[in-house]
Amino acid sequence: MIELQGLTKIYGDKTVVDDISLRVDSGEFGVLIGPSGCGKSTTLRMINRLIPATHGRILLGDDDVTQLPVEQLRRRIGYAIQSIGLFPHWSVAENIAVVPGLLKWPKSRIDERVDELMGLFHLDVGELRDKYPHQLSGGQAQRVGVARALAADPEVLLMDEPFGAVDPLTREVLQDELLRVHQHTRKTIVFVTHDMDEALKLASRIALLNTGRLVQYDRPIELLTRPADDFVRSFIGKADLGLKLLSRRWVHQYQQHATLQGSPAASTQAGYTWEVDATGRPTCLHGGRLHAEDRQQHTEVTQEWSATPDMTMKEALSRMVWFRVMVLPVIDGEGRLIGEVTMHGVMGQQPCA
Amino acid sequence: MRVAALKRPTSRDGLLASLSALLVLLVLFMEELAPLFQALFPELGNPVYRRESFLQLTLDHLLLVLVSSLISVSVGVGAGLFVTRRSGREFEPMVSSLAAIGQTFPPAAVLAIVVPLAGFGFVPTIVALTLYGLLPVVQNTIAGLGTVPPAALEAARGIGMTRGQILRRVELPMAMRVIIAGVRVSVIINIGTATIGSTVGAQSLGTPIIAGLVGNNIAYVIQGAVLVGLLAIVSDLIFERLERRFTFGD
Ligand SMILES: Nc1ncnc2c1ncn2[C@@H]1O[C@H](COP(=O)(O)OP(=O)(O)O)[C@@H](O)[C@H]1O
Ligand SMILES: [Mg+2]
Repeated sequence: MIELQGLTKIYGDKTVVDDISLRVDSGEFGVLIGPSGCGKSTTLRMINRLIPATHGRILLGDDDVTQLPVEQLRRRIGYAIQSIGLFPHWSVAENIAVVPGLLKWPKSRIDERVDELMGLFHLDVGELRDKYPHQLSGGQAQRVGVARALAADPEVLLMDEPFGAVDPLTREVLQDELLRVHQHTRKTIVFVTHDMDEALKLASRIALLNTGRLVQYDRPIELLTRPADDFVRSFIGKADLGLKLLSRRWVHQYQQHATLQGSPAASTQAGYTWEVDATGRPTCLHGGRLHAEDRQQHTEVTQEWSATPDMTMKEALSRMVWFRVMVLPVIDGEGRLIGEVTMHGVMGQQPCA
Repeated sequence: MRVAALKRPTSRDGLLASLSALLVLLVLFMEELAPLFQALFPELGNPVYRRESFLQLTLDHLLLVLVSSLISVSVGVGAGLFVTRRSGREFEPMVSSLAAIGQTFPPAAVLAIVVPLAGFGFVPTIVALTLYGLLPVVQNTIAGLGTVPPAALEAARGIGMTRGQILRRVELPMAMRVIIAGVRVSVIINIGTATIGSTVGAQSLGTPIIAGLVGNNIAYVIQGAVLVGLLAIVSDLIFERLERRFTFGD
């Protein structure tokens, strides 16, 4: 748990961080967002005391951070930054092992931990363990940076625009991995970004800052549906507000019962019907295309236009539009049909909790 | 500490081995070349310098270089470290100009000043060589520490390294290649400059050169100069290898 109480930073006569109070509970994914220069990095760097606060208190669990010896504090807090800052004269394994080394873990435990983390971030141990930073791709280097931050199993992870410098494709992958790691480790994370889509995708709570002040601190869905003021509204952006909303909703919330071809319900309901093979995998959709003739209403099911329960509704909608169907099959891990999501559902229905 | 060993062509290693062998042979068996020098300079009565053995002269020469370089490096790296710490930053211009003065001051002039104070022999030579070799070490220490990426420093602090750990584990290893390059220049310069020690009675490979110049014996000059030159080249190649060991990526 991290709690900021009236946190303030003043440089000369310029108040850069102005009386910020907020709490990121244990296991939460908190995101600090706001326009460039609004004080996000300064706030983050006051938490691990890279910058001394002018006023206010920061609590890490029950401890006031200023009461702890500074190096000891920092070893309890993982820190990952956009420029990564890997040590160029150390191998990947040595970079990841640095904090456990500082904490004097036994060698065997450090080696185990390095392998475990490399596995967690899909870094090929055999190939990359002894490589040097200059031999890594941008995405690999950033993974190593985050792995290093997590190495000593810190209570809290601070991240300052860690994916800001990688290409959009890699960024998506890294975001997915971070979400997975967060679900797996339940670390408390404070993550800085200026990208609303990234914040919406990752955050369990978003703190929106403007000129050093905390404007709104809420769950993403509330930020979208109940913006505190015009600044929040304009920062979220009106143009694709609907899509942003759907990016915080999941297929399982909209999932409906799928009707099988030939079942009793098929004849009585006007909806779509599905053919499945012996293992329960959907093979063909009947109906579901607007303005199509009857013979075109048999659509073969492919992997690309099915949905999984943990997919965002934004992505599901995007697939419906791209493949021009009114419905997607929802499949489980084995590819079996477990339900459907429909365009009507997206439009009409409030999501179940 | 492990460092990246990059594979480079090794023809220079062969060069180093053969030049080292040549140096050792000449130091030990210069005497055997007496017929050669006699043939080249038939007018000379003594074609090979014999007052001291070349082995003794070489060891004396190396001692001068070693002692002065050890002092230059300790003082130079220390000063470079000091002015790159937060507490010493304001002294940087002063230290840089002092070191520059040390090098622009001709060693012969240093000898002229120090001899009346410290007498003849070893000590004034060491003072002159130390001052002369200081600048490249100071400059390269400052420059080398300046090449450490700020992101690595920020990460090192954020991770919880103490200042000493940051210096020992991050800054120095990363600056090492450039610092060694400075030491290399300093040592090479001093191998050449140490010869002037012989003018104030510090025995070195300069002794046969001076004797040759005074006694009009060109063979003595050549014998001293060839050994000094070989010594400088061999040291240079050794330093080059050392620098390569501290190269990480690009
Ligand atoms: N050392 C400093 N002295 C004066 N102003 C600073 C200093 N560091 C940052 N600032 C100012 O504080 C503001 C917030 O900076 P920062 O926290 O880095 O913003 P961001 O939200 O982009 O991360 C900026 O306007 C910046 O110019
Ligand atoms: Mg910033």
